[in-house]
Amino acid sequence: MPDRLSVDDARYDFGAGAGLFGASLTVAPGEIHAVVGLNGSGKTTLMRAVVEMIRLTSGRVRVDGVDVTSLRARDWARVGHVIEQPFAYPEHTVRANLEMAALLHGVGDELTATVDRALGELGIEKFAGVLARRLSLGNRQRLGIAAALQHRPTLIMLDEPTNALDPAGVILVREALLRHAARGAGILVSSHHLDEVARVAHRISVFNRGRVVGALDPSGRDLERTFFRIVHADDESRTS
Amino acid sequence: MSGIGSALRVEFRKSLASPVLRAITVFVVVGIALLSGALVSAALAGNAQVTAQLGHLAGTTGWPLLTGLVAQVTAAGGLLAFGVALSWMFGREFAEGTIAGLFGLPVTRASIAAAKLLVYAGWVVGVSAGLVILVAGAGMALGLGTVDAGVIESLARQFILTVLSGLLAVPAAWAATLGRGYLPGVAGTIGLLALAQIAVVADTRVAAWLPIAAPALWALFPDQVDHWQLLAALAVPLAFGVLTIRSWRRLRFDR
Repeated sequence: MPDRLSVDDARYDFGAGAGLFGASLTVAPGEIHAVVGLNGSGKTTLMRAVVEMIRLTSGRVRVDGVDVTSLRARDWARVGHVIEQPFAYPEHTVRANLEMAALLHGVGDELTATVDRALGELGIEKFAGVLARRLSLGNRQRLGIAAALQHRPTLIMLDEPTNALDPAGVILVREALLRHAARGAGILVSSHHLDEVARVAHRISVFNRGRVVGALDPSGRDLERTFFRIVHADDESRTS
Repeated sequence: MSGIGSALRVEFRKSLASPVLRAITVFVVVGIALLSGALVSAALAGNAQVTAQLGHLAGTTGWPLLTGLVAQVTAAGGLLAFGVALSWMFGREFAEGTIAGLFGLPVTRASIAAAKLLVYAGWVVGVSAGLVILVAGAGMALGLGTVDAGVIESLARQFILTVLSGLLAVPAAWAATLGRGYLPGVAGTIGLLALAQIAVVADTRVAAWLPIAAPALWALFPDQVDHWQLLAALAVPLAFGVLTIRSWRRLRFDR
């Protein structure tokens, strides 16, 4: 079975040292692959490249073995993502937002059941009738993640999913990701919370200056020290 | 276009819940009818200040005065209001960051843009009908006389003018897309409005051939614009609609 996601030597230069400079990684079915890195290291840009928000200068991005540039429209139903902003239109209720997201992800039948399941999975049932603009940042984040997961995609990409969440929300998302990985989804998560990703990820890649420069062992000790050692070693190797 | 049905359902829901479209509906339908009705009422009462401002409508009375005023206000205010509505529909996705959620979907962005334009067109037709109904009601309430064939023809012309004003605002969608926000769309609408007004003032023969000016000129002076010139106005929404859909299809955040 091909990787859910495969990125080979992705390059894109925003200028001023920002962008992707030979990024490569894979996400296997059932795998949670976390990318950690400092701000501006290219984690979000990598995800944007997967959904074609940017057009790579060179390199390839494949979803289930198919290059994204030749992916058929209906095949994108297999992808769910939260990149930058959660799917949350402020003047709509949580339920309406989820219904709209489900429609856009190709859910035709069982719209209500799909949304009910998503509300339950992310613990936001009691906010179903609340306008998104009245939600706290954390609950808006939960809404966005619910919108990305509810159509049961086989490739899930979440950019800093636990940033605004309280401890209960962090646990809910962690359990949801494990459930989706268990059914065969490949999950790419970006974060700078090393301890958090260590609890959920099967694999942790360190991103620096637009490419993967090393890996952390999720069960290893003192992840922070190892992370900085890898990043500094990469910085040193580039300046020398 | 993949997923146009789903895109239409989503965009229809968005427009129903939109406070901006609701406010503009009230502004165009109630605002224009009330303003014109109030001006006619003041003119009939002999208010010299109002009659001095009537321009080419000075000397007219009854239904022709009311429909003439409504056409005048619609030509300028309507285009601006519709342009703001379109700027919001397209520009909000960029300004509020929701555009990121419209990538990586089985429903293509071209379908989403087309759905926005179709829902907008439907809304414009509804607003146009609402305005005509309210103007007819205002005329009857003011006791302007029987609704004869001439009045019905004027009201029908008003309906077409409002629809065309809405369609002429389509470049705002493209401007909001290229500029990635509301303001470029609003600025584009103001530019269109200025161009149309200047053309009408400068030379009505030239204005009759200018698609963005022809409908307003036709509503005010039906004999100065022929049907071909009026039909040419449809080139604006068609061309800019295609450009907008194409821009959404090719949308990237490379800059």
